[in-house]
Amino acid sequence: MEDCALINDFKYKDFLLALINGDRKQSFWFVDQYLKKNISVKELYEHYIKETLYRIGELWEQNKISVATEHLATAITESILNSLFDKIVSENRLGKTAIVACVENEYHQVGIKMIADIFEMNGWDTYFLGANIPLQELVDFAKNKKPDIFALSLSIYFHLPILEKMITNITEVFPNTPIMVGGQAFQHGGIDVIQKFPLVKYFKNLDDTESFIKKIS
Amino acid sequence: MDRLYLNKTAKYLKPVSEKVYNEYISKQEKLVNLMNQKMLNREDIGELVGKNNLEMMKDNHANHARFMASIFKKFEPQVLVDTVLWVFRAYRSRKFHSSYWAAQLSNWIEILKQELSESSYMEIYPYYEWMQVNIPIFVKLSTDDLESGKSMH
Repeated sequence: MEDCALINDFKYKDFLLALINGDRKQSFWFVDQYLKKNISVKELYEHYIKETLYRIGELWEQNKISVATEHLATAITESILNSLFDKIVSENRLGKTAIVACVENEYHQVGIKMIADIFEMNGWDTYFLGANIPLQELVDFAKNKKPDIFALSLSIYFHLPILEKMITNITEVFPNTPIMVGGQAFQHGGIDVIQKFPLVKYFKNLDDTESFIKKIS
Repeated sequence: MDRLYLNKTAKYLKPVSEKVYNEYISKQEKLVNLMNQKMLNREDIGELVGKNNLEMMKDNHANHARFMASIFKKFEPQVLVDTVLWVFRAYRSRKFHSSYWAAQLSNWIEILKQELSESSYMEIYPYYEWMQVNIPIFVKLSTDDLESGKSMH
């Protein structure tokens, strides 16, 4: 591991090592230090955490770390996000709600949790349904909550047909409710599949997401 | 020949019809089961996939079928190239031998020919032929990426 360029050349090497070593205390400490530099939580998410998680994915890809280590790092990251709730929740509530979830069969929920937090920072109430939400469950839940918007995440490209089906079904039941879509799966393509739905918008990063949330707030 | 060549040649592949996609997904599970059986029956399977990798191989076959279904639903040449390269890197780094892909793709072709209607097979076959003829390029590019310690994420 010492001679691994994927680790040694990485700009957040110390945080990366803390995560893959499963050192929760150190990981929290690095995040704390980062925030003390007056970096916003959004920037922390977009750069420090997102880039580190992508690097962890690359380490798995090249068999430098195991699945267990990857899951451990992700679990610590999720606990970091949860610990920041006091910092992200806005006092000024707008009375608007968002339902935020991963596509059915998707288990990568850190990114969409960040999206839920961006909504909270901007005064929205969010229902974060997390990973692998069955379509019918999502629709039934939404009938009860009547959200102002949906936000869905897709990490794995081959789940794109499932996302398309979800959008189709949600749109049938909620024809006037916008749907935000994003995730790593769109890095290489697939955006035109969702662009045929007039109320569906794709967002590639947290900045664009937040700009849109502010616009509709 | 390199990534640009793969991108360029992938663009010549024709999107498959909705009818073919529907037939493929209706038979997807059976195709994967047949594929697993065929590969597990090989005497050289240990050499092809490496030690203790049989479950990972089965995952790969299931994921392969899911991925191909998404490509048949909406063809994106760039996604095809990037994903196949990713698969080569991820599995070769876990000791899958480069000849595994030749064996795997030949078996997929046999199974598709046997299980799909002739018209569906004719539409899908060019994708497999493209992957098959480009194995040496995928091996070379994935070797370069793995040796440089880089990822194309």
